[in-house]
Amino acid sequence: MSALVTKQTHLLSAGRTHPGAWWLAGISLALSASLSSNLFVLFGICALAMLTVRLCRDESPWARSIRFYLILGLVVVALRVLFRIVFNLADASSDVFLNLPSISIDLGFGNSLHLLGAISMLSLKAALVDGLRLAAIILAIGMANSLANPRKLLRATPGALYEIATAISIAINLAPQLITSLNRVRRSRGLRGHSKGIKTIPGIVIPVLEDTIEQSMQLAASMSARGFGRRGNRSAKNVLVTRVTTFLALTFIVAGVAMLLISNASQLLDLSVILTGFVFAFISFKLSSGRVNRTQYIVLRWQLGDAVVLSLSALMVIAAFSGVFAR
Amino acid sequence: MIEIKNLTFSYLKPDGTQKSEEPQLSRVNLEILPGEFVLVCGPTGSGKSTFLKALNGLAPSFTGGVISGQLLINGVDYLGHEPHDFANLIGYVNQQPEGAFVADTVLDEIVYSAEQLAIPKDEISHKVEKLSKLLNLEDLLDQALVNLSGGQQQRVAIAAALISGAKILLLDEPTSALDLDGATEVLAILKKLAKEESVTVLLAEHRISRVLGSVDSVLVVHGDGSVTKGKPEDQFNDARFAPPIIQLGQRLAWKPLAISNTEAYQRWQSSSQTFTTLTTNLPSELVLKAEEVAVSFGNIQALKSCSFELFGNQITALMGDNGSGKSSLCWALQGSGTRTSGTVMVLGQDPKDLSPQSRLSLLAMVPQRAADLLFLQSLADELHESDEFAEVPAGTTAAIFQQLAGRIDTSIHPRDLSAGQQLALVLALQLVKDAPVLILDEPTRGLDYAAKRALAKQLKNLRAKNRSILLATHDIEFVAMVADRVLTIEHGTLVSDESPTQALGTGSSRASQIAEITRTPGLITIEQVKA
Repeated sequence: MSALVTKQTHLLSAGRTHPGAWWLAGISLALSASLSSNLFVLFGICALAMLTVRLCRDESPWARSIRFYLILGLVVVALRVLFRIVFNLADASSDVFLNLPSISIDLGFGNSLHLLGAISMLSLKAALVDGLRLAAIILAIGMANSLANPRKLLRATPGALYEIATAISIAINLAPQLITSLNRVRRSRGLRGHSKGIKTIPGIVIPVLEDTIEQSMQLAASMSARGFGRRGNRSAKNVLVTRVTTFLALTFIVAGVAMLLISNASQLLDLSVILTGFVFAFISFKLSSGRVNRTQYIVLRWQLGDAVVLSLSALMVIAAFSGVFAR
Repeated sequence: MIEIKNLTFSYLKPDGTQKSEEPQLSRVNLEILPGEFVLVCGPTGSGKSTFLKALNGLAPSFTGGVISGQLLINGVDYLGHEPHDFANLIGYVNQQPEGAFVADTVLDEIVYSAEQLAIPKDEISHKVEKLSKLLNLEDLLDQALVNLSGGQQQRVAIAAALISGAKILLLDEPTSALDLDGATEVLAILKKLAKEESVTVLLAEHRISRVLGSVDSVLVVHGDGSVTKGKPEDQFNDARFAPPIIQLGQRLAWKPLAISNTEAYQRWQSSSQTFTTLTTNLPSELVLKAEEVAVSFGNIQALKSCSFELFGNQITALMGDNGSGKSSLCWALQGSGTRTSGTVMVLGQDPKDLSPQSRLSLLAMVPQRAADLLFLQSLADELHESDEFAEVPAGTTAAIFQQLAGRIDTSIHPRDLSAGQQLALVLALQLVKDAPVLILDEPTRGLDYAAKRALAKQLKNLRAKNRSILLATHDIEFVAMVADRVLTIEHGTLVSDESPTQALGTGSSRASQIAEITRTPGLITIEQVKA
């Protein structure tokens, strides 16, 4: 009942844009970040993601999740830098920035382990870039998650992906519920005082889990009672084959993209893995389409705001691949 | 329409063996006619929900268990089918609409089922138009579901259940989470659906007397596996859930019993109308003083400058609709909740300044979900833990618990206790240091008449030790049973401080069922009526 204050909407407000546009924008930002090693570009991407959420979000529960991604991002940067300082690889070639006493530990394998020691500016900066790159990717995904309404996204999902999208949507919807339950239980537990010691953990975890499982079962039951999961005129075999091909398609595409971004193996191999994914996706679409088993009463249309978001994302990706952000 | 033959259902333990000797439903045979309006009753925990769920396949699909027999709908046996296989025949609405919503806006929610069933687009448009008119939802179609009142949400849930073309509607306590206006709104709609649209309605409901006059039959799930269906006047021999209107008739030996409020009023008019005045306790000394207490969460002001006093030897009810600020006030008084401004003094001390442990000697509190406080593996552990925390002699908590709930095997897991017993346990844990003030937030949720009567007796016993009890609730009948004084809160402001007969008497917006039936000033509970 708290959302009584309606926020002013504009062309790019979350409520007026297609959730798919925000996911594509998020992926573009993440891709650009992964291709960049420039401290300022990475910092800019983080700032851009935060600013976009600030300007376009609405009053929905998932809009608040960006705070969580921001904290996660900061933790990642801090850990990356801390690890570099602790597990220091001596680099004598450049200026010493921080000279800490070195510790050597003999593990008995011959080589001893060196901790701390003199740290150069260069290695510290490299650590910062590494951390910031990860943080930028996290924030880009956080942006998409904060701006794209998971239920609307579910609506826009093609039939073949519908079941997987439903599972994801339920999972996303449960997060705010989990936090509400946690707060309620913690407050109640406070009445019995001393919340110390390991044995109080089940006292908090059990009611919260109970709530969450109850909630998801209730939602699942409600969906089933209202016809979700009907095969319609498709045979059981068709449904099974579709599910398997959809799963294979997703696995191959995700693995391919990951290989493309992480490994330095041949690009031909990466592309062929992605292509295999697309072939499976095509088969699964073919299998599930052409047989009416669901009506789309409200069709989400791509609008001007979405076009703006998408063109900006496209520009970003082109710039990233052409190497503008590389250094 | 629905024909049930030899229906037997029992829950299973995880290892596959049956949980209890007695099945929840045992060899049930009954028939429900097209357009029949059936009220489903029974004591709490008797299996009302299970019975309704068995009718649309949610049991055993989502509850586990084994089912046998026949479930014929329009002559076709649907036993063992998944709920989605006959979603076009049966609509289902449960207690908390917000937990079952799959969409964000009213229109999206209503059309969901029609989309799943692949109903053509123009037919959906037609149905949306018809249903939104029928359920007064025309102006709400593009609203976000979270911005609706509870009553509006339940109307959306009903529309969403009927869009599939279902002519059978199952409702599991649809008004239990609603305030009075919301409940009236929903029940009026159900009467209309049954009478004008010939929808077969099966309604499990606690506020029995409001619908009793409109139903065609009453179905009782007894709790021993048996289910009976018959005329309203024959079905309430079990005092565990007989509503006030039936109790009044039984007390005055009316034959046949009156089942509608108008009928009962006429019978009451022609009776001797003798009743005793309500006995309320005289307060003793001041124990709690709240001055200009306000609570805000961000921009939302939950409580605006509330000032009042609580006295010993008195049960004070704090009444108000959902979201009026009752819970916020309770937590602010207790000291661990947010208090933006104002002061609270309990016997010269502000509970906010105290540690949780020393607070227990001033204030005891039972929150809305009492079970949240229980976290150990056995009753014995919980009792022992409580003694240790409060630093009182071993056995103190156990003695209080035994006074409240009787003797119970202490090796039992706290989660296996009944709702009433869990409440008694939490009361015992909180009262271990004999706090002079006891605050209870919605304690009667999920309790049947018998459990409520037990709680009323416990509270009166606790009051006897010069205690001050604050009871935040919207359960009118329970307040009529126990309260000495009624505070009313509306939109975060205290609006009245009255005697129970004023607050719950005839003509009040919170009139008790007996006050509503008899329209006699000063009469609010069945206990006052002389046989």
